[in-house]
Amino acid sequence: MSRSFDTLRHYLDVTGVNIKMAFMTIIEYPANIAGWMISNPLQFIMGFAIIKFVVETFGEINGWDYGQLAFLYGLSVISHALSMIFFVQGWFMGWYVIEGDFDRYLTRPLGVLYQFFFTNINIFGITDLIPGIIVFIYGCVRSGVRASFLFVIQVLIMLIGATLIRGGIYILIGSTSFHTRSAVDFGQYTQEIMDKTTMYPISMYPESMQFILTYLIPIGWVSFYPVSSLLGIDNGISSGMITAFITLAVGILMMSLAGAYFNSGLKKYESAGN
Amino acid sequence: MIDVNSLCKDYTIKHKGAGLSGALKGLVIKNTDVIHAVKDLSFHIDEGEIVGFIGPNGAGKSTTIKMMSGILTPTSGSVLINGEDIAKHRKEVVKNIGVVFGQRSQLNWDLRLGETFELLKHIYRIDADAYDKTMSVMDDILGIKELLDKPVRQMSLGQRVKGDLVASMLHSPKVLFLDEPTIGLDVSAKYSLRKFIKEINRVRKTTVILTTHDLGDIQELCERLIIINHGVMMEDGNLKEITDRVAPYKTLVVEYYDEIAPHHEKCEIISHEGNVARYRFAKSDITAADIIASLSSEKAIKDVSIEEAGIDDIIKIAYGK
Amino acid sequence: MKKYLFIIKTQIIKSLTYEFNVYGNIIMQTIIMITSAYFWRALYSGRSTVEGVDADNMLTYVIISSALSVLLITNVERRIGRSVEKGTVACDMMKPVSLFWMFFAEDIGSIVALIFQNMLPILLIGSVMIKLPVMADIKDLPLFIVSVIESFLINWLIAALFGMTAFTAVNINALIQVKKHLIRLLSGSIIPIWFFPESVAKVLSSLPFVYIYQLPLSIYIGRGTRAEHMVQMQIQFIWLVILSALFFLVHNIVTRKVMVQGG
Repeated sequence: MSRSFDTLRHYLDVTGVNIKMAFMTIIEYPANIAGWMISNPLQFIMGFAIIKFVVETFGEINGWDYGQLAFLYGLSVISHALSMIFFVQGWFMGWYVIEGDFDRYLTRPLGVLYQFFFTNINIFGITDLIPGIIVFIYGCVRSGVRASFLFVIQVLIMLIGATLIRGGIYILIGSTSFHTRSAVDFGQYTQEIMDKTTMYPISMYPESMQFILTYLIPIGWVSFYPVSSLLGIDNGISSGMITAFITLAVGILMMSLAGAYFNSGLKKYESAGN
Repeated sequence: MIDVNSLCKDYTIKHKGAGLSGALKGLVIKNTDVIHAVKDLSFHIDEGEIVGFIGPNGAGKSTTIKMMSGILTPTSGSVLINGEDIAKHRKEVVKNIGVVFGQRSQLNWDLRLGETFELLKHIYRIDADAYDKTMSVMDDILGIKELLDKPVRQMSLGQRVKGDLVASMLHSPKVLFLDEPTIGLDVSAKYSLRKFIKEINRVRKTTVILTTHDLGDIQELCERLIIINHGVMMEDGNLKEITDRVAPYKTLVVEYYDEIAPHHEKCEIISHEGNVARYRFAKSDITAADIIASLSSEKAIKDVSIEEAGIDDIIKIAYGK
Repeated sequence: MKKYLFIIKTQIIKSLTYEFNVYGNIIMQTIIMITSAYFWRALYSGRSTVEGVDADNMLTYVIISSALSVLLITNVERRIGRSVEKGTVACDMMKPVSLFWMFFAEDIGSIVALIFQNMLPILLIGSVMIKLPVMADIKDLPLFIVSVIESFLINWLIAALFGMTAFTAVNINALIQVKKHLIRLLSGSIIPIWFFPESVAKVLSSLPFVYIYQLPLSIYIGRGTRAEHMVQMQIQFIWLVILSALFFLVHNIVTRKVMVQGG
């Protein structure tokens, strides 16, 4: 017990240094800041506007009004932003495999996956976070949600779970590179699929697809199930407080699966130049 | 210290035909080949040794060193460092090793050198005293302190290699792996690198394992050589031993006053240009003095010199096998 | 010309060797296409026509948009970025082939390979799993083809222009993202701008983005009259001219800058 506590403290300590170094890198290249400050918020402001236009044209989407959709969109963007901060490197895993960039992590006495994500922690993901929070608050107000203590706790637990699900998916996709030995950036595609399945209620899709999104590729738990529970919309699967914990459990499960798949891939890692 | 037991590594590679038709066929039909990069390698290395791995490109020496440092997982066999299997207990075992790859830096390109050291200090949980002690040793050998505040991207290759060497030694590892460390370095940088290796080996008893193509590295550093070709061990022993075994001869260079050179029954003339002739003879067969005496009785000699079988001869012979 | 044909051929071979990319891309694009189809089916449930387009048209739109997206993949911006970042740009510019024509030839080569590897499979999968994407009026085919060629060129020029910002201090990766989002959201590739409020749609029709996706797609599904399409194609052509002029202008500035400073 004290040993694992000690390990945790060690990892937190190293994480602190990594975050400090990430900030120093940002300060080193001030010109980059402007680029990301425009790029990321732009994407989400436009995305949010488009949802508004769709609602105006087609009316409620599967019974969800604009305020509820804003709530859904906001929560989805927040977990997206968190996954960008911690796990975006997963999109580029293929390049690391091909260029032999895992060599360095393998010779250090820490978890490889940990080092891969945290030495490349992406502070700029914060620029995604802010528009997400704004839209989420707007959604809360529009759909008349009262932010009690219990509500905030539920939201936080859900966000952790949702972020882990996203991260797990990035790792699973990225780890295929160990077997294929090719570097494909599926980031854009992943994002596109995630957009369609986390920013709109999945109840609008046919049951077969809902089944897949609930049990096989659990994207439904990233935003749809948590949000419908919070808003008291019937989703046929889960409602109430328990949803937050199911979301977290699904997240942990996805991460564990992804970690196991990554580690099995790492055994096939060939470094570079052979 | 290090035990390598019947180590093997196979790679599966895909076959592809040439040109457009080959590329198209590759989409449908797959031909794979298994390459045995390392075949049944076993050896033992003691504490404090400096061992050079040599062999032509693609011989399997990088693959071997990468399995020994925990980067590649062996197909079969094992690498034990201090009795522990590195493939099974990677996180524990790598605390005892340092790794420098000539082509691949572990320094953070965007920040000052000192930041990388700071990170490593936390990763390896090096306490302040030990860190300061190591730094002062490193400063004596390499003059590293003046580089600490310099951004890595502004450093010369030689300075970066210094940085990488110190980075790999911060946690005082018992074993240091160097994969072609001198590649691309100028004379003075090579000199400080070799001095560094000798010093840490002498002062800290660090075991050093390096791969190299540089004959100077081998001559100056390696007490022991392991020659690998086609994934198989060709030779293992110290430089002199291997020399005596694979190249048991010397060369006598004789300069005459004209272009006619006499023969000697126990020598082979390996070259004859102008007034200079080179005689190769077996060390066990005859001494140089006897040959000179015999030759000078036939013809006036202007000058003589003796060449030992050099490291390049050994490598030529070993690679040729 | 011959050397550029050679670059195209080399790039085709290069693209073909990455078999996993091919299958991975097809799977991902199929998922996106099917999801989009369900998305529109759900939105249209209980409605026949919205903004002059019915659900059936929208499904055709989705399939052709997926196929078209294959033609609109560019690599020029990343190639410029990398060349500047690595500091090889001055050397690259000295080569006997023009740098930008080389990138253009490479992109053409990749796309030729992708037509067979990605576009045809996508069309086939879409036809089987969603519906047969029949063109509204086959007589518009020449118009459609011309507009696709122009949209390819506009898309490539925008990418090249964004790529050339690598010569300034701004981070190119961020700008590539900006470009991606602009095209993704404002070109009608995912949601046609005719569903946007009129004022917004009006502003967007004066920008080049809608002429990349939405114009050829409108022609294909037959939204609007031929006369309207002809007017839009004139705007598309004007944008092509403007962007070309801009490209050559910036290209000259950049070349001069590199020649003076050495990159």
